Amino acid sequence: MATDWRAVDAAFYDQLRVYYDEEELVELGTFIGFNIGYHTFFGTLKFYPMFSPDGRLVSQEESARLYGASPASLSGTNLCNAAAG
Amino acid sequence: MTHIAPLDAAQIKDPELLALMARAEALGVPDELFTRIVARVPAYAKVLLNALLVSHGQGSVDHRLKEIIRIQLARFAGDTYFSALRSKRALAAGLDEATIDEGCNNYEQGRRFSEAEKIALRYADMMYLDPNQVDRAFYDRLKQHYSEAQIMELGGFISFHYSMQVFMRTLGAVPQKPSP
Repeated sequence: MATDWRAVDAAFYDQLRVYYDEEELVELGTFIGFNIGYHTFFGTLKFYPMFSPDGRLVSQEESARLYGASPASLSGTNLCNAAAG
Repeated sequence: MTHIAPLDAAQIKDPELLALMARAEALGVPDELFTRIVARVPAYAKVLLNALLVSHGQGSVDHRLKEIIRIQLARFAGDTYFSALRSKRALAAGLDEATIDEGCNNYEQGRRFSEAEKIALRYADMMYLDPNQVDRAFYDRLKQHYSEAQIMELGGFISFHYSMQVFMRTLGAVPQKPSP
């Protein structure tokens, strides 16, 4: 859906149906879409988890050091290529 | 035929969902098809439809500007369904296809938009074209025209509507009837 959405065609949905029913396909599709949309927005806001992996409340600066200052979702142009391709 | 078949309208009996569908029908976005597909998961359908309606129809940013942004994003996503729908409220307020086309294709050079409208269109454009450019400096420029609340309103609207467009574009969906 994010990197090559045109490949998500009728045949791909038929493959999904081997494992998932119609309700689960809607659940997966909307969940994935939601995450594609929102993670990019959140990435532009430059905020990071409040807690470290070991459960400490940390500053945003420390959290950026712990989790990385450049989220993977912002590191490439996968969504743009998918949309413009 | 969409890749996930919609439910028959008669199968939807939840009064809360039916009320949301009536609001969507009045606005024109989304039409019944979206809801009949997501209604396969009723709890999702209510939340998703309500979020679409609230983010599009409420808040303090001009609804006509949001409608142009929504169509700009849908065209960018390659979503034949949402890009063909039109808000009846925005059309009634004077939005026309020429303005929509300029907002989607040539807002920077066009004369129809204020600087505030241009930077909102740029915000949506850059969010998925090149999110690295939506940096602190860009947010500082946005703040010259919009409050923090309005920026959250725009960001939430842009990302949520794009979210549903990237789902619908995979289904081969088109609107049930032409928009007015």
